[in-house]
This record gives sequence, structure tokens and C-alpha cells, in this order.
Amino acid sequence: MINFIIRRLIGTVFLLIVVSLVTFAIFFLIPRLAGQNTYQLAAQYVGRNPTRQAVLQVEQQLGLADPLYLQYGRFLRGIVLGAHYRSGPSVTYCPPPCFGYSFRSQLPVWPQMMSDVPVTLSLAIGASVLWLIGGVSIGVLSALRKGTLFDRFSMGIALAGVSLPIFFTGLIALELFSYKWPIFPNVQFVPFTQNPVEWARNLILPWITLAFLYAALYARLTRAGMLETMSEDYIRTARAKGLPERKVVAKHGLRAALTPIVTIFGMDLGLLLGGAIITEVTFSLHGLGFFTVQAVNNQDLPEILGVTMLAAFFIVIANLVVDILYAVLDPRVRY
Amino acid sequence: MPDTLLEVEDLRIHFPTQDGLVKSVDGVSFSLERGRTLGIVGESGSGKSVTSLGIMGLHGGSARISGHIRLDGEDLVAASATRVRELRGDKMAMIFQDPLSSLHPYFTVGSQIIEAYRIHNDVSKNAARKHAIDLLGRVGIPQPSVRVDDHPHQFSGGMRQRAMIAMALSCDPELLIADEPTTALDVTVQAQILDLISDLQSEFGSAVIMITHDLGVVAELSDDILVMYAGRVVEYGSAAQIFGRPSHPYTWGLLSSMPRLDRERTSRLVPIPGTPPSLIRVPAGCPFHPRCRYGHLNGGRSETEVPQLRETEDTGHLVACHLTAAERAKQWGLLSAGNVPDHDKEAVPQGGVET
Amino acid sequence: MMRRRTFGLAALGAVAALALGACSSSGSGSGSSTSSPTSSTGAVAFNAGITSVVNPSTKTGGTLTFDWRSAPDSFDPGNTYYASDWDFARLYSTALMTYKNCPGACGKTLIPALATAPGTVSNNGLTWTYHIKSGYKFQDGTPVTSQDVKYAVERTFDRGVLTNGPSYFQVLLGGNAASYPGPYKDRSKNLMGLTAIDTPDASTIVFHLKAPFSDFDYVAAIPQTAPIPPDKDTGTSYQTHIMSTGPYEFQSYQLNKSAVLVPNPQWKASLDPSATQLASKIVVNMTMNPNDVDNRLLAGDAQIDFAGTGVQAAARAKILSNPSLKAQSDDPLTGFGWFFYIDSQVAPFTNVACRRAVEYATNHLNMQNAYGGPVAGGQIGTTVMPPTISGYTSFDLYEAASKPQGDAAKAKQELQACNQPSGFSTGIAYRSDRPTETQGAQALQQALSAVGIKTTLHGYPTATYYTNFAGVPKYMSSHNIGIAFGGWGPDWPDGYGFLDELTNGNTIVPAGNTNIGMLNDPVVNNLFTKAAGITNATERNAIWGQIDHQVMSDAVIVPIVYAKALIYRPASLTNVYFSQGYSLNNYAVSGVTGG
Repeated sequence: MINFIIRRLIGTVFLLIVVSLVTFAIFFLIPRLAGQNTYQLAAQYVGRNPTRQAVLQVEQQLGLADPLYLQYGRFLRGIVLGAHYRSGPSVTYCPPPCFGYSFRSQLPVWPQMMSDVPVTLSLAIGASVLWLIGGVSIGVLSALRKGTLFDRFSMGIALAGVSLPIFFTGLIALELFSYKWPIFPNVQFVPFTQNPVEWARNLILPWITLAFLYAALYARLTRAGMLETMSEDYIRTARAKGLPERKVVAKHGLRAALTPIVTIFGMDLGLLLGGAIITEVTFSLHGLGFFTVQAVNNQDLPEILGVTMLAAFFIVIANLVVDILYAVLDPRVRY
Repeated sequence: MPDTLLEVEDLRIHFPTQDGLVKSVDGVSFSLERGRTLGIVGESGSGKSVTSLGIMGLHGGSARISGHIRLDGEDLVAASATRVRELRGDKMAMIFQDPLSSLHPYFTVGSQIIEAYRIHNDVSKNAARKHAIDLLGRVGIPQPSVRVDDHPHQFSGGMRQRAMIAMALSCDPELLIADEPTTALDVTVQAQILDLISDLQSEFGSAVIMITHDLGVVAELSDDILVMYAGRVVEYGSAAQIFGRPSHPYTWGLLSSMPRLDRERTSRLVPIPGTPPSLIRVPAGCPFHPRCRYGHLNGGRSETEVPQLRETEDTGHLVACHLTAAERAKQWGLLSAGNVPDHDKEAVPQGGVET
Repeated sequence: MMRRRTFGLAALGAVAALALGACSSSGSGSGSSTSSPTSSTGAVAFNAGITSVVNPSTKTGGTLTFDWRSAPDSFDPGNTYYASDWDFARLYSTALMTYKNCPGACGKTLIPALATAPGTVSNNGLTWTYHIKSGYKFQDGTPVTSQDVKYAVERTFDRGVLTNGPSYFQVLLGGNAASYPGPYKDRSKNLMGLTAIDTPDASTIVFHLKAPFSDFDYVAAIPQTAPIPPDKDTGTSYQTHIMSTGPYEFQSYQLNKSAVLVPNPQWKASLDPSATQLASKIVVNMTMNPNDVDNRLLAGDAQIDFAGTGVQAAARAKILSNPSLKAQSDDPLTGFGWFFYIDSQVAPFTNVACRRAVEYATNHLNMQNAYGGPVAGGQIGTTVMPPTISGYTSFDLYEAASKPQGDAAKAKQELQACNQPSGFSTGIAYRSDRPTETQGAQALQQALSAVGIKTTLHGYPTATYYTNFAGVPKYMSSHNIGIAFGGWGPDWPDGYGFLDELTNGNTIVPAGNTNIGMLNDPVVNNLFTKAAGITNATERNAIWGQIDHQVMSDAVIVPIVYAKALIYRPASLTNVYFSQGYSLNNYAVSGVTGG
């Protein structure tokens, strides 16, 4: 098991390098293919109507005129060793992991991302607890009551949940529960450490919006999984032993049906930790997703690189945890 | 009979489906004494598994069960589900065909046996564990105190089936139903398992119902044999009677389609023509008649009249067939001498030859 | 004034309210007048804030909340180029000059802030001298000296560190300005290495220009002249630790999220005419959902929309249809103009008659609708400069106002005159992430095809529009794109601020070009030079009008609308009015009541 984890972690490092390379390439090479030169690139990060000298100064400060391999090397070195940055009267040291300085604000990217992480974390974890509990229980009940009105009704709602885009449900939720009937007025993020009650109250609408989509998915998945599991031979054996049906479902059925659900959950959570973009933008929550949108709109390479790598990291770690978890849950899968 | 453990009387198990009412078991009756082995043979779809599941009460709510199943005098069909559940695993136990899929992959073999034991017995975990190890030893699993903590996939096929048997016997059941216990195993292991069952039967004193399509298995173990077709009993008797003087064309078919050591290798096997009938639209009259080579000898009765289970000249040997005893003896004589019948029916409708 | 229209997320909500345009109270679509009966000061009525102070109050206390759909490029006064930032900066910084705090055109008047008086010009217009009021202190009690002002200007020369602000000082100053790298690199002479600025004593500062520039007082009003103590300057991170000289100082600032300002005890009202200290706390909430901002304003949870570009379509509908809400809103001309340019380097637009054909063919009514109609979009434009700019003169060379649907006959005549009787083909560039420009381009395409000019549409992202596409003359000619959409807001509200970068031949650059018409008309260029030497404001303003007229005659710009914005003022906001100085509501005098 330890060997397995180590191998995977090494693989993770390589994967992150590849991700950064691809992001780097997209950012620089594609505009170059369209004919953009470094002067034009630098001009994006200066105020309106700059003098030529101003653009060149920016070009130099951001290192845009350097060959790409040099820029990339600088980037990698920053992550591992930290970087020194000319910030004005002094040179500031940006400790590892240093994802560089924003082209726009000239401030270090890593602390900015880290300050956004709690928001995304709050949103993702809260929503995930909701959808896991909600979705799985509805899925189990639907499977056990297959064909009944409950089953049909809940699967119908689930279909709606899966089909409706988040910005639709989010905006409707805001319109109804924040503006029209001020049950949750003024949705703004309040840190947990500041006021747990307010933290939760403000996040309820985004949690429900996000969870609705996923709960629907998980209800359908769980239902399918349960139906399949409950038709397995070992369920029949459990009944043949005289186990009460409750225990058959809960201990023998659910456990097996949930294993794939757990793995999918790990992946979904990993993806969300990189930023629930649409939900965050709809509810003005300043998390990593919001950060991503701004970084892209501003063509801010260090921020784009930073958030891409962070998101990739979360996903890869989530995958690793999921694989380990699978081995823990399912004795047949052991390393 | 004073020693009757199980008495099945006119058991019918029907399943309503979108396509119609599936009559999986349609009037099955037999009895089983303590300590004896009954073998139930038949093709897939003959209703043998459905019958055994019905005895165990393992059918879901959609099954329509009528008739009587008396276990030690208690009617299981009339009993509440809770009562049947109490008996399940305790007084009557079942082992299944594929031990790999029938044992829960996530739990250790020991914990599954312990669970089976503790449902019906209020004992400590330690005591149950000791019992499980003991059982594993008795079914012939080496190093049982180590293997008790292994998972099913860590056992070989034969070992798994032994473990399953151990689990079934954990509560010392009076009735053990074995549904094709050796079908998924290879031949050498088959023999071991059958021996094991036989030994344990004498040791525990339980009655055994052995369900199989393999006549060789049946010959080994059974005291009595029940032949089922299309949800009904077509022949019933002791092993000696069934093998010695088979009386139903279906039984003849089963016996003839088996390769035999005492025949020429080059002599052809005589299969039963056709396919099992639809249980929704069971053929009228004798359900076997579309595939029977001898139906034409009955002057049309096979097509219209359902043959009843009647005793032959041997006591305790019952058969449901319109053929006269004399005719039966003659035809069996011909068959067992190796003569293939002249003509096979062509263009047989549903329940007959594949067209 | 530079007003960076930060659309971004707002683009999601900006739907052209065509129906709204037709239903607005002004009736027909050719635009409403900006003046309303001047209500007595204080009365709450529609458009009252354009010419009078609404809800005047000297009441102190309360929390004044600004909501913003975006975030500042920087709060550092030396590193910002948003009009809203410049307006707000007066709360925590003091430039040499500022705009008078009064509504309407009065708000364009320059008055001294940190300085004692407007600059004294000498040496044939090459030297400008200011004296700094005594008694000004930073928030830590340190007195302000002229060297702090010089240092503030000097640091803006290091564009690698402070990338955002305008470049006027680098362009206008003489001495070693062309090669001066900024005090971070040039530590000589005690950080006073820029020879173009002298500080003979602690309260005098002298600017030496390369060439006369009569608008220099406007330049002195840019926050880049707000003093910064060199020992407290941390370069890129100064924006999070600003030393205030204004009525408020920063208590906290979370980048891109929120800022809280509290009163600065060192500030003296008697010294500083540019701002007031009413609220006991100022909160700025940033990067919010624009619809959220509107709803909070309507609910009274916030007092001011920092961006100042008006409410979104949903709120607009609510406000205009509700008389009491409408009375709490203004629809001012924002000093911003939307146009499209005709690139005179791209054939056949090299011939002025072909350009004039486009001027005549344009259906101005459809264009106005594409931009949101009279209320949300603006008034149909006939000149380059909008009416609120000093120097504006009214004329209409191509009947844009009198024949708003265009004049196909005249257009065809012009086509004859430029030897393209059956029309020609060209491209139209626009910013595809802006619904207004997308619809405008489509409307234009239709109008031009009616006279035989076939066009292909080319949409580009806003982020790189000027740096890579429309602002790259080579790109335009090589791709045969003769028309490009754009807009302009001046850095200061006179003709120079509006016209120079758009029409002066000397401002053409190979990338990031804003003179997209590629106009290099010696008449225009000479008028600019002439105006730069005229110190008398009235005389100077007359010249802007002449330039405008010449540019329209050269037909390199086709005005679409003089932009308007529907701005809502919650009842709790005091001293609210629209000033043409920054073409925004005056943020520096705002207060808040319970109301």
C-alpha cells in the first residue's frame, strides 16, 4: 500500500508539471500563432495609452520578452525555491510555493488563492454533505420502492435537477429567497471563524443550488447501484440466513452499492475544490472559481497558472484518496 | 409418517408479469423424512429452484403462493413473514450454486458465519467466533483459525463452497437445501463436496434436498428423486426405482442424454428434442407432449388431458403419464438397449423443437 | 477622464432594453434633453441630481456602503486609471488640484486642493509652479512637503512596478524625463533624481515641461500628484498601506474583496475643499454580482454603486415603471461617447467621400436602439465631443439628428464621388463580448448593405481588442477591416482630454492605437499645438470645437450616442449629485442617514 501511494504521488508531480506546461503553452503559443508579439502582450497589462517606454518597462518586469523555456524555468523554480521580485524600493521574497505575481495587481498569487480557498472549501464541503445525504437516501428509498409513486416522483425531480443549469436554479433561488421574500437577504460570505451561524445562513442558498444538481445525480446513481446490488446473490444468501430485511439492505446491500458512489463522490469533490465556478459567480462568492473567471478575463498568466495547478492538484489528490478508499472498502481491490 | 420433516402439498408459485402470469411451480407435492436426501432434477425453468426458494420463503412480495408447506407440522405458507424468517437459517438452511457471488465480498468468511449464527443464537462474539472456526474445521478447511479472517475471494472454489456449507450448518438446521452446489465447481472438487455433504448429513442428522440437473450427482447422494418439468412433478420415487425402472419419457430423455461408461463411445447420445416450454403459456394437456416421442401413442389424450401423478406397480413410485404400464416398459426396454426411436417429430410448436 | 468600462461579469446582465427605450418618458427615440426643471435644492425628483444637490445634509455618522461589480485596478493613487477610483481617491488622498464640489457643469471647474492656487505659468508656458498649503499632514502626523509630491510623480515613471496609471508626466515633462527610470532604480540625489521637477523649498514645487501645455492644471488634478512619503512607499504593496491625507484612512483592505475606511483624525476640513468627513465608516464591497448591487441599492443595504455606469436592465425596468423609484434616479449624460471609427488607411476609405457615404448611410435610430435606447444607451450623437465636455459646439454635418434613419440618397451620391457607385466590401471590427457593440455592428451591416456596401463582421475579445486587433493599424489594413467600434471617455472634461488620443496624428502608435481613424490631418494637428499654448480657457475651448468640426468633416469618426446611464440614489444617501468633473456622482461629499 505504501509503495502504491508513493508511486502515485510521484505520478502526481509529473502530472502537475504537464498541466502547467499545457497551460503555459496555451497562454503564450496560441496568441503567437495568431500573430501577437510580446510588445502587444505586454501592452495588455499597462494602463490606457501607455508610452512605448512604459510598455517596454512592463515587458521587462514581467519577463515577457524572455524565451519561453526561460520563463517556464523561472516559474518552476519559484514553486520549489521561491522567487525574488522587484516590488519597488526593495526586493520582496516570495517563499515557496511561489506562483509568481499577478500581472494586474503585482501582488503574489499564492496568498490571494489561499484567501479564496476557505470560501470554496465551505461551499464544496457543505454542498457535498447535503447532496450525499440527500441524494443517497432518496436513491436508496427509490430503489427499495421501485415502481411506486415515490420512486417515479423522486426520479422525475432528479431528472429536472440534473438537467437544469446551475445559473438557472441559482438565479431563481436568489430571486425568490433573497430578493422577493427576504428569507436569505444579502448573501455574502462570512468566514466560519468569524460567525458560524452567519456563515451557514449565507451559504444555505448556494449549498442548496449546488447540492440540488449533484443530489439528483447521486439519487439516480444510488438507485441504479442499489437495484443492481439488491439483485446480487449474496443478498439472497443474507436473507437465507434469516437476517431482518432492514439489516440486509443496510449492511449487505448499501455497503456494496455505496462503494462506486464513494469513488464518484471523491472525484466530484476534488473537482469542486478547484472552484465551483458558476455557483460562485452567481452568488458572488469569492472562491477559487470566481478567482479563475477573473484571472481569465484579465489574461493574468500567473493567476491562471496558479489556479489551474491548484485545481489539478485537488483533483489528483482526490483521485488518490478515492483509489485508496476503494481498496479500504472493497477487500477484493488491494495493493 | 411420524418422521416426516417436510411436507409439500399442491404448491403453486405464480409470478404476475407484464407478459402474463408465469406459472413457475404449478402443483408440486412431495414429502421428506428426517435424515433423508431428496434429489430434485429437471431442466432450467422446471421450477426446482423456485420450489426450494418457496420453501425458504425467499420470494418477494410479487409471488403468489398457494398450497401448503409443512415444516415439522408448521405451515410456512400460512405463517407470517417474521415467523418464516425466524426459521430461515435456523431450522432450514440453504446453500447456493455460485459461492463466489453468494458470499458477500466485503466481509470475512468468519464474520459471515458469525452473523448467521448470532441471528438465531444470543451468544458473545467470541463464542460465535469459536463456533465458526470449529465449523470451518469440520467442513475440511485447513488452518481454520487463520482462514476465518480471510475474504471469500481469497478462497478457492471448493473451499468457498465448504465455507458456505459451514455457514448453512452453523445453526444446526434440520433441513438443508442445496441448490446446484457443485455446478460451479470442477469435477474433482465436486466429489469432495458431495462427500462432505453426505458426511455432514449423517453427523448433523439433517434432511437434505439436493437440487441439480446432473443425474450423476443425484445418483450419489439421493435416497429419493423428484423429477420436475414445467413446474410440475412428472415422476417421483426412490433412487433405485428412478434409475432402475424410469417410467416417464422425460426421465428417459434425461437418462439417455447422459454419456455412460457401459456404452460404446461411438454410440450416439439421444437428446431430448426441443426447448423448455413457456411458463406463461404452458402447453395444454401434458406439458411434455410437444417434445414427447410417445405422445402419439395415447390417442390424443396427451394434447387435451393433464396426466395426474399416479402410483405405478412399485410402491412409492409415482409417475404422471398417459402411457400404459406395458407401453412404458416396452419403450424403456427399447431405449435402454440402445435403439433410437424411428421418427422425431418435426415442426413442433412452442415447448417443442426449435424452429 | 478615463472610464474603463469594466464589463466582464456585467456583460451577463446587460441586455439591450429596446422596449424600454420606446417607453421612456421622453417619448420619441431621438433622445431626451438632459435638463429638467431645476427643482429647489434638495427636492427628490427624476434627474434632480444632474443640476442640484439632492438630500443635502451635514449629518455625520453611519456607515456609507459602496457596492462594486468590479475592483480597483489599484487604490494606490499613483497607479490607477478608473474615473471612479479618481473620484473616490479624494477621500484618502489629495492631489494638487481637484474639481469643485458642485453639480452639473459647475463640477468641471478646477480648484486647488493641496495647492494654494492654480499653477503659475512662466517661461513661455514651459514652467508651472504650485505652492502647497501649510498644515497638511499624513495620517501618522507627518507634515506633507513638496518633496512628497515630487516623489509621488517620480515613482510613476517606473511602469514595471506601477503599471496602470496615465502617462502624462512621462510625455509632458522635460529635463531627464525621457530617460528617468524612477526612484526605485535611481536612488541618487536622495530619491529626487527627476530633473524636470524642482522643489526649491518644502512648500513649492516647479514643473518643467518639454513644450507648452495649457491644460496642465488638469494634469495636476490627477491623483498621481497626491503626496506619498518615500519612507512609507512599499511599491506594489503600497496599495494596501496607503498614507492618507484625506478625510478617511484605510482600516482594512482585502484585495478584490472589501475595504473599510475610517475617519482620519489628522484631516482638517478648513484646509481641504475637495472632500467632507460625514460618515463614521465607509465600506467598499468589491466584485459583486451586478444584479446583486442593484438589488441592494434598491433595498437600501448600500448607498452607492461604485462603478457609476448605471443599473442593469432588470433594475432599470423596475425603477422607470415606479414613480417613487424614478424620482430617486438620474439619467445624466456621462461624458462618454460611443462611436465607430473609419480607418482612413484602408481602401477605399482613403477617399473622404467614401467615408462620408458611411456617415450618411448609418441608421442612427437603429444604432441608438442597439445601444439601449435613449435612457440606457444615450442621445444620438452628431459630434465627437459630448455636450458635457468643455469646448463642445453643436453641429450636425451629416443630418444624424435631423434624419436619424440615415440618408441613402446622399450616401449614394458620396459613393459616386469616390468612384464606388456600386458599393464595395470591407470589414467591421467590434467587441463580441459586448452585446451593445454586437447589435450595433449588425445594425450597421444592414444599413450599409442598403447602399451597396457589403461588410463582414469580425468580433474580438475586449481584453485584446486594442492591443492586438483594432488598435493595430497593420492588422486592420491587412485584414481589410475599415470600420471598428469603440468608445471614449476623457481623462479630463475638456476637448484635449476627449479629442487628442482619438484624432491627433501624433498619437498614432503601432499597437494599442486609439486614433483608429488613422487621422493625420495637419489642420487638426496644428490646432492641437496651437491650443496647447493658449492659457485663456475660453479661447482654448473654442479651438476644441474647431478640431471637432474638422474631424467630423474628415469623417473618420461616426458618433453613435452620447452615453447616458440611469443612476439610482437610495434615500439614505445624502449630498448626492452628478458632477461633470469626473462625470460621476461626487463620492467625496457623500454621507448617509437612517433614511
